[in-house]
Amino acid sequence: MQSEKLTQLLIEQTRQVINRVENLKNYDLNTLTWKENKTSWSILECLEHLNLYGDFYLPEIESKIKNANTKNDVEFKSGFLGNYFAKSMLPKEKLNKMKTFKDKNPLNAKLDKSVIEKFINQQIKLLELLNQSRNVSLNKVRIETSISSLIKLKLGDTFQFFINHIIRHLKQIDSIQTEIKNT
Amino acid sequence: MKELVELSEKTITIERNEFLKVKGNIDTNLYYVKSGSLRVFVLDDCEEQVIRFGYKENLIVSLDSFLSGKPSEFFIQAIKKTVIKIITKIQIDNFLKSETNRVLWTKILENLVLQQMEREIDILTNSPKERYQRVLKRSPQLFQEIPLRHIANYLRMSAETLSRLKKS
Repeated sequence: MQSEKLTQLLIEQTRQVINRVENLKNYDLNTLTWKENKTSWSILECLEHLNLYGDFYLPEIESKIKNANTKNDVEFKSGFLGNYFAKSMLPKEKLNKMKTFKDKNPLNAKLDKSVIEKFINQQIKLLELLNQSRNVSLNKVRIETSISSLIKLKLGDTFQFFINHIIRHLKQIDSIQTEIKNT
Repeated sequence: MKELVELSEKTITIERNEFLKVKGNIDTNLYYVKSGSLRVFVLDDCEEQVIRFGYKENLIVSLDSFLSGKPSEFFIQAIKKTVIKIITKIQIDNFLKSETNRVLWTKILENLVLQQMEREIDILTNSPKERYQRVLKRSPQLFQEIPLRHIANYLRMSAETLSRLKKS
């Protein structure tokens, strides 16, 4: 698809993400830390998990964009692996459990509302990077994944993967809110 | 302006702190505020700088994006729950097919240019007291609709300074 179309889509998705999470600020700490059972995540734990990913990816993306010497491409073509990762992140009809890497597991960390603030700040940063990416090639700039530095994805795929991952966990937060209502 | 607003076929509500648009969005809509209030701001190296406010019966638009069709720098965020009527660029283009309407539109744009020039002078005015007085004189309504801390940002001063100026 066209790079510009992709960028606009991602910016719009990020706007919706910000609005969804701004809403969470209205809830009290009890609701935000409620867990269905000992190993399932609370709303804040979901957001903290996303923050941990942001801590890795945002500086990495920022530095690769800064050091890029490519110009923007009109067309973006998803890479095989990148496309697979991005699609696998999307929430399915029935939300399936995925394994979480140990260093990205927020379970039982001491969490408060500052987690929400941090998340929103990361989204603003992401917007900044999406805007900057208009000046470089979404195809040629490659980002190391948190899984392994040997696995690199195209910038366009990384953005999609990163945002789909956020959307996945926002759906999880929806489910948690529904469960809270039902108890 | 009434004729323009009547074109709208879509009304939306945005909750407090929600973004109507973010930096990088292309936005060619014209927004009419039915109730509530919003702020239009840019990010200057991580600092928010308010460009303009919108409250009831105001028209709000990302004019850069509207005119050029390009991505806009502006963030538009609701200060409180806000109800907005949306008028699209296509609706406006159709509206402008008649001569009478074009005259009306020109008047609106001329008014906007004059407002921008006033604003330019605001920003270049050194004395905080004078900046405050210019805006107070021009838009007293602002102080009823918008919280002081946002007005302080718009006036490029601290909230404490603005408080002090209001009291004196």
